[in-house]
Amino acid sequence: MPTESGPVRARSRPPALSVRGAGKSYGGTTALDHVDLEIAEGTIVGLLGHNGAGKTTLMSLIAGLVRPDAGEIEVLGHSVTRHPRRARRELGLAPQELGIYPPLTVRQNLQFFAELAGLRGKEARRRTEEVAEPLALTGLMDRPASRLSGGQQRRVHTAMALIHRPRLVLLDEPTAGVDVETRARLVAHVRELAAQGTAVCYSTHYLPEIEDLAADVAVLHGGRVIARGSVDDLVRRHGDSAVELVFSGAPPELDLPWPVTRQGDTLLVRVEQPHLVTAQVLAALGDAAARLSALRVVRPSLDNVFLRLTGGQHGGNGEDHANTDRIEAEQHA
Amino acid sequence: MRDGALTRITALVRQDVRLLLRDPAPLVVRTVMPLLIMGFMQPLFRAALRAGGEAADANGAEQGVPGMAVMFLFFLVNVVGFAMFREHGWNTWDRLRASTARPVELLAARVVVPLAAAVLQLAVIFGAGGALFDLRVTGSLLALVVVALPLALCVVMVGMALVALCRTISQLSVIANILALVFAGLGGALTPQSAMPDWAEPFAPAVPSYWAMRGFNEVVLRGGGVADVLLPAGVLCAFTAGLTAVTLVFFRADHRKLSWS
Repeated sequence: MPTESGPVRARSRPPALSVRGAGKSYGGTTALDHVDLEIAEGTIVGLLGHNGAGKTTLMSLIAGLVRPDAGEIEVLGHSVTRHPRRARRELGLAPQELGIYPPLTVRQNLQFFAELAGLRGKEARRRTEEVAEPLALTGLMDRPASRLSGGQQRRVHTAMALIHRPRLVLLDEPTAGVDVETRARLVAHVRELAAQGTAVCYSTHYLPEIEDLAADVAVLHGGRVIARGSVDDLVRRHGDSAVELVFSGAPPELDLPWPVTRQGDTLLVRVEQPHLVTAQVLAALGDAAARLSALRVVRPSLDNVFLRLTGGQHGGNGEDHANTDRIEAEQHA
Repeated sequence: MRDGALTRITALVRQDVRLLLRDPAPLVVRTVMPLLIMGFMQPLFRAALRAGGEAADANGAEQGVPGMAVMFLFFLVNVVGFAMFREHGWNTWDRLRASTARPVELLAARVVVPLAAAVLQLAVIFGAGGALFDLRVTGSLLALVVVALPLALCVVMVGMALVALCRTISQLSVIANILALVFAGLGGALTPQSAMPDWAEPFAPAVPSYWAMRGFNEVVLRGGGVADVLLPAGVLCAFTAGLTAVTLVFFRADHRKLSWS
C-alpha cells in the first residue's frame, strides 16, 4: 500500500517499480512475454511460478543485468535501460544464487557494499551494524563468511542487498535451503522493510511465506503474468474447494445439489465450504460407501490456486496434503 | 553518501586489497621463486654473459635478476585473471553489475592492485638481487623505473585482455602459462639476448618481454640512463595501449565466465 496519503502527492510519485510490456527471449525460447507489473512503495509482491517460469529473468531485467527485448521498466520513475545508474541507486538485489566473498568476514562483506554505495568511514560502519542487527548477524561480524552455516550466509547475502537503503528490494528465493529460524527472521525483516516504505519483489516456491508476508501475488507462467492480486482475492477467484472421494472401482452416480466431476476412480464434489457438507455427501453414497477407500476435504488455499492457475492438479494425485484433511477409509471388508 | 566514479573505484580497490591480504601466498611465492631459481642459474648466466662478450666481469646477476623478474612477472597474469573469474565463481559479479558501478569502473579498479603487486614484485626482486646476488646496476635507477612501470602495466593488461577473451578460468590459466614461458624465451629472460638462437631473433621484438629485457640490459649492463630506455619503454606503452584496446573491444560485462567452482 502506498505510503503517501495526499492524493495529489500520490499521483505525482511514480511507483517503486513499473514494468510495462516487458519481453525477453533467448534464442527461440521466450522467457518473458509482455509482462506488466507494478509495485508501490511499502508493498510486498510475491512472485510465484514454477522453475523456468521467468521469475529470475524478470528480476534480472529489473536490476539491469539483462536488457529487455521489448517493453519499459522503471524504478521510481528511472528507466533501467536509459538511466541504469539512477535506477540501480534505488534498488537492492539479492540474487537467487548465494553471492558473498567467502574469505572475508561478514563485516568486510557488508562494508564493501556500503563503500561501493558511497558510504565512508563511520557512516559505513554504522550502517553495517544497523543492517546486521535485524538479521541476527551482529555476533558473527568478525567471522569469515566461509565459516558460516548456509542460513547465516543467506542472511549475509540478503543484508548486502539492503546496506544502501534501497527503496526497491529484489529478493530472488531468499529462503532457498535455509532453516526455519532463518526463514522466520528473513520474513519478519522483509515485513519491517515494507512497513518502513520499501517496496519488495519476493520470489519463492514456498507459498506459506507469501501468506506470512501478507504479500500481494503475481503468478508467472510461461513467461506471462497470469494472475495478480492479494492472496484472499486470488483464493476467492481461483480457489478450489471440494470433497474428494476415492473408490475402489468405478465411482457411483451421486444425486447432490453441487457439481460433481469424475477423474478415474475419484469423484470431486465442488462446494464452497466442503467441511460443512461432508456428512451429506457420505449419506448420498448409499451402498457405494462400502467401496469408498479415501475421503479428503480440499480447502481453498494459495497452493491449490497456484496449481490450478499453472495447470497442476489440486491434490487428486496426493500432492496437496498440506491443505487437505484426509480421512483414510480402509475398507477391506 | 558520495556517489562518484572515484569513490566506487576506491571501494573496489580496497576490496581487492582485503582479498589479497587474506591470501597473499600467490604473490609471495611469485616473488620468492625467481630468487630461488636465481641461486641455481647464476653460474650459467655468468658464463653466458662472459662468453657473449656482454660483460667480461659479469657475475650472472645482470642477466638472472632482470630475466627471472620479467619471467615471473608474466605469471602474474594468472593472478589478474583469477581476480576477475573468482567474482563469477562467488556469484558476486552480478551483484557488482547491479550496483551503480559502471563496467569500465569495475575493470579500471581491477587494474590497481595487480599493478601495485607487479611493481612491488619487481622492486623486491631487484632489491633482493642486489643484496643476495650482488646485482650491480651501472646505469640510472630512474631508468629502471621508466622500464619497470610500463612493463608492470603491460603485464596487468595482458591479464585483462585474457579475461576479455577467455570464457573459462582453465583457458586463461593455460594461455597465461604458455605466454609467460614463450615471452620469457623469446624476450631473452632465460638466455641473454645476445645468445638467443637465430630462429628466435626475428620473433623477439613481437613480445613485450623482449623490450623489457632490452631496457633492463641497457641500464644494468651498459650504464644507460632514461634517454636510453625511452624506446623500449615506449614500445611497452604501445603494447599496453593495444592490450587495453583488445580488453575494451572484447570485454562484455554480461558474459558469464566459468570459474573453477
